[in-house]
Amino acid sequence: MIQLFHLSKKFGPNVALSNIDLRIGKGEFAFVTGASGAGKTTLLRLIFGTEKPATGRILINSIDLNTISRPNLDLLRRKIGFVFQDFKLLPNKTVFENVAIALEVKGVRPRIVKKKTDQTLRLLGLGEKERSFPLSLSGGEQQRVAIARAIVKDPLILLADEPTGNLDPDLTQEIMAIFKGVHEMGTTVVIATHSRGLLEGTDCRTIVLNRGKISEEKG
Amino acid sequence: MIGLRFYFLRQGLLNIRRNLTVHILSLGTIVACLLISGAYLLLFENINHWLRQWGSTLTLSVYIKDGTSEYKRDKIDSFIRGLPGAQIRRFISKEEAMEDLKVSLGKEAGFLECLTENPLPASYEVVFENAEAGDIHPEEIKGQLDSLEGVEEVQHSRQWLKKIEGFLDTVRLIGYITGGMFCLCVIFIVTNTIKLTIYSRRDEIEILKLVGATDRFVRRPFLLEGMIQGLLGGGMAILALFLGYLAFSSKEIYLIGPAPLEVVFLPLEYIALGLSLSMVLGLVGSSIAIGRLF
Repeated sequence: MIQLFHLSKKFGPNVALSNIDLRIGKGEFAFVTGASGAGKTTLLRLIFGTEKPATGRILINSIDLNTISRPNLDLLRRKIGFVFQDFKLLPNKTVFENVAIALEVKGVRPRIVKKKTDQTLRLLGLGEKERSFPLSLSGGEQQRVAIARAIVKDPLILLADEPTGNLDPDLTQEIMAIFKGVHEMGTTVVIATHSRGLLEGTDCRTIVLNRGKISEEKG
Repeated sequence: MIGLRFYFLRQGLLNIRRNLTVHILSLGTIVACLLISGAYLLLFENINHWLRQWGSTLTLSVYIKDGTSEYKRDKIDSFIRGLPGAQIRRFISKEEAMEDLKVSLGKEAGFLECLTENPLPASYEVVFENAEAGDIHPEEIKGQLDSLEGVEEVQHSRQWLKKIEGFLDTVRLIGYITGGMFCLCVIFIVTNTIKLTIYSRRDEIEILKLVGATDRFVRRPFLLEGMIQGLLGGGMAILALFLGYLAFSSKEIYLIGPAPLEVVFLPLEYIALGLSLSMVLGLVGSSIAIGRLF
């Protein structure tokens, strides 16, 4: 499903990732962890196609991101949900509109958009907040809106960058349960986190990055 | 697809609402540009209408030399009556001509009292109804009348018409040039307005791209926004023009000839063309803005 071959990425003189070889299978649940600056976010952004590698190849469902056309990349992104660390919510749109947008870009009928968005918001405990604007929400609520937007379109791959960074332990468990639920539906889930608490006791695959290199793999 | 069309339309309208001040200002300028062009077109259309009205009837003024005998005048009279389609509307004697002049001069007629004799010639006012058919040749008739004894001068309405038509060709050319410049102005205004809208929505565009929106999906609301702006501008300009027409059409305007001129509004096909053109101008303006920023 996700294949990385000799992947490197530099930002100016700084090496963010170096010679990464990785394969994440279809329906797998994997954590990418490491200290700040280890390259977790860069790895996710490369898989999502918002960054181009300096060297190496990325295959998503056998599609080479180095040679993919812009329109096809747009279409591929409709199948990938991404939970951004900074949420990337639209401040002048309501919670409902922020989530619905992921379906609207696919040309889903308004009736189905409403039904699916309502379901997803209720699943994430945001049913009461659908008319609120992001800036009136707490950090945790904004994060849940970002998660709702990523999962509402039933993605084949779900990438999440520090998705529980702003949540309290109880809510973290709830959100992780949602990710597990999405995974059980057959979605490949890759979560970048530096939270040790999140990883404790998990039997999921864990990829540890250190200074842009895979230093350890568990599970 | 219906859902998407609704989405694009809603986004286009939302864009306008979010940047209302900018849109109102640019709409005002667009309306002004289109209104000036429309007013020019309306004036031109009316002049054409008046000329058609005027040209459908050929009128001749046959001036008689002073001292022409009754016999010679009868010959002229008979000749005129023998012309196909000709009707003598009026014979104006020297005295009647002077009276008519006094009436038309009104208060200024006083200076005519200084004249020791009446210099105005007697004349026939001759009308050819349905003169558009082409079987009446005014220059030929003029030549025939000029050759009659007792005729001093013959003037016909087509002489003026030809001069005015020549002038109108120049006016038309100026109209095309200024109209073209105003169209460029509209494109320029729409381009800049849409650029501002795109700039104010750049975060939203980035997020739309991140959730998988195609370029076409992102562009369409802006294209619609430009089209709506053009259409609104065109519609408002036509409305303002119509109000102006209503104000003028209730008045009697005398410019050419004795009858009041009928004021007409732009024909429906011109209105449809104007609205389509303004929409196309909006579309071109927004396309340029999108092309430069995407």
